[in-house]
Amino acid sequence: MKPKRRAMTSTARPVAGKRASVPREPRRSEGARSPALATTRPRPAVGPRASEAPAVVEIAPSQVDLRVDLGRGLILPNPIMVASGTFGYGIEYGDVVDVDRLGGICCKGTTLKPRIGNPPPRVTETPGGMLNSIGLQNPGVDAVIEKYARTWATWRTPVIVNVAGESVHEYVEVARRLDGVPGVAGIELNISCPNVGAGGLQFAIDAGAAGEVTAAVRRATDLPLLVKLSPNVADIRPIARAIADAGADALTAINTLSGIALSPRRDRPLLGNIYGGLSGPALKPVALRIVYEAVQAVNIPVVAIGGVTELNDVLDFLAVGAVAVQVGTAIFADPTVPIRLADELAATCARQGMLAYRELIATALPAAKGRPSSKGVEYRP
Amino acid sequence: MRLASAELVDSREILPGQWLQAYHAPDLAVGSRAGQFVHVRTGDFSGLVLRRPFSLNTTDPATGIVTLHFRVVGRGTEWFTRLRPGDAIDLLGPLGRPFEVDPRSQHLLLIAGGLGIAGVRMLADEAIRAGRQVTLLFGAASARDVYPSSLLPDEVEYVVATDDGSLGHHGFVTELVTGYEAWADQAFACGPTPMLAALAQLVAGRRDRLGVAKLGRKRGGGKTVAAGSPAARRKSFLQVSMEQNMGCAVGACLGCVVMTTSGTPQRVCREGPVFAYDEIAWEGGW
Repeated sequence: MKPKRRAMTSTARPVAGKRASVPREPRRSEGARSPALATTRPRPAVGPRASEAPAVVEIAPSQVDLRVDLGRGLILPNPIMVASGTFGYGIEYGDVVDVDRLGGICCKGTTLKPRIGNPPPRVTETPGGMLNSIGLQNPGVDAVIEKYARTWATWRTPVIVNVAGESVHEYVEVARRLDGVPGVAGIELNISCPNVGAGGLQFAIDAGAAGEVTAAVRRATDLPLLVKLSPNVADIRPIARAIADAGADALTAINTLSGIALSPRRDRPLLGNIYGGLSGPALKPVALRIVYEAVQAVNIPVVAIGGVTELNDVLDFLAVGAVAVQVGTAIFADPTVPIRLADELAATCARQGMLAYRELIATALPAAKGRPSSKGVEYRP
Repeated sequence: MRLASAELVDSREILPGQWLQAYHAPDLAVGSRAGQFVHVRTGDFSGLVLRRPFSLNTTDPATGIVTLHFRVVGRGTEWFTRLRPGDAIDLLGPLGRPFEVDPRSQHLLLIAGGLGIAGVRMLADEAIRAGRQVTLLFGAASARDVYPSSLLPDEVEYVVATDDGSLGHHGFVTELVTGYEAWADQAFACGPTPMLAALAQLVAGRRDRLGVAKLGRKRGGGKTVAAGSPAARRKSFLQVSMEQNMGCAVGACLGCVVMTTSGTPQRVCREGPVFAYDEIAWEGGW
């Protein structure tokens, strides 16, 4: 049923079985565990001791395999990517962020023709998050290629161009122009931008339209193809299935959730476009739910995005089956977050004796038929 | 641009709801120019996900002290007022492009509306250090909101207008400008957008009023320079410092744009916050 994931877990099954079942609870409460309790009541089968047990040989964080295979030859050096729209074209942060240490860069949404975007104000802070309605301002695909592709080609980090459009034809044409351009490692199909009038969202809320645009782009390019899902739907599963069946290599979940904010005097909506997309920590439970559902509906990798701020968020998304995460809004507060998360993920794996972060994936999914059980039967009486 | 840690040295409420804070940030105190700003992180990310952009109010390279002047408008700015000396904050900066002063300009007119003083305050220091004469026109709602003259360099001529007439000129600060437009070589303004728009309109007619419209070459008239370039701004009589809701402040998110007369939105954080008055499409134009 899920060949990809089975392949991943089966290699590590003997230890993964133990690890996945037992330390899942203690991992959260490790900080609260008192050393006195541990010495007075030794319980060898519980807690971090179980996971440390196989780690006879110390593993250095640098030895941990963080590589992610998103299909069609797209290999990320680590599973922490930066999200489209929050990292420009990769050059804006300059020396503050070492782009070569990122897992992947999704550039600003790119359309066939230049777009001037929505009238300001375009961003505002909301409780635990922010709303944005940029409206896909960008100089058009040709200018993007001319200005940035040469720089991208010199980076170790793959750059995935986020592609938006108002019609199937536009998506296809942009994809065709990106095909074969050195420095372009893949395409992320943005069929879920809530901030543009025509097109945009309409492809993301209908399984038929989503499948159609995916299939059309698939025929136009051999580039690795990610498709970004919208949370503004009743049921994500048929849409995810349609996209996977149409030949997408991976899914990205999720885009922003549509919302509005009011002006200080409450006499009108605050944003120039009235509607904006909600992002940030406030979005995380929604993203977690949609990743959880999408992962079980399709056989292709899912890249999670939605409120990732700290390592626990990364571990949560991996646990519900994502193979990688994108960091977005958190970059605005601290641009060094993505690199720090990659380091922390490697350190956590090393500490738990894991040689590959893949062992953290899908530990919280219900056992499916034909999937190796991760329940630790050896601990049952 | 760099990420720097800054330690709070002094924090005072200088006007009702307006705070002046001094931070020790040697990295920023050196090499920052008037008109640039910093993007400051609040402590509580779970609730407040965005940094706050603040103008660099003053910088002192000798002591490494940077001051920020802000008004409490919400939970983020309120958080800063609770900091105590010794607390450290995280600054990203210096960001944006500075005011461009023509080397030949001797008389600088600064125009500030309310908190807009924070945007032009540092230019007064720079200009006086360079031996220029500075007149500051300041507008506020009433006397209680007027920036204390003790916080300005002695050399600055300080003229005040209040909306209610409780101090200085009774009316808008823009009404004072025509009295200085013949004296001034260049003007620099920061304040509410309607004030800046009124100034831009005023300045557009200045050459006709002064009778210099047809006097031929002045300020390198014949050469064409790209709009928005430092050289073009240096030649402009009026430069304005714009404000906009901001996301990343480095040009990545395109959240803080203003429409320009060229028909392309420009980023306040990257191409701005300082613009020549004739770059901005004051009517919007979206």
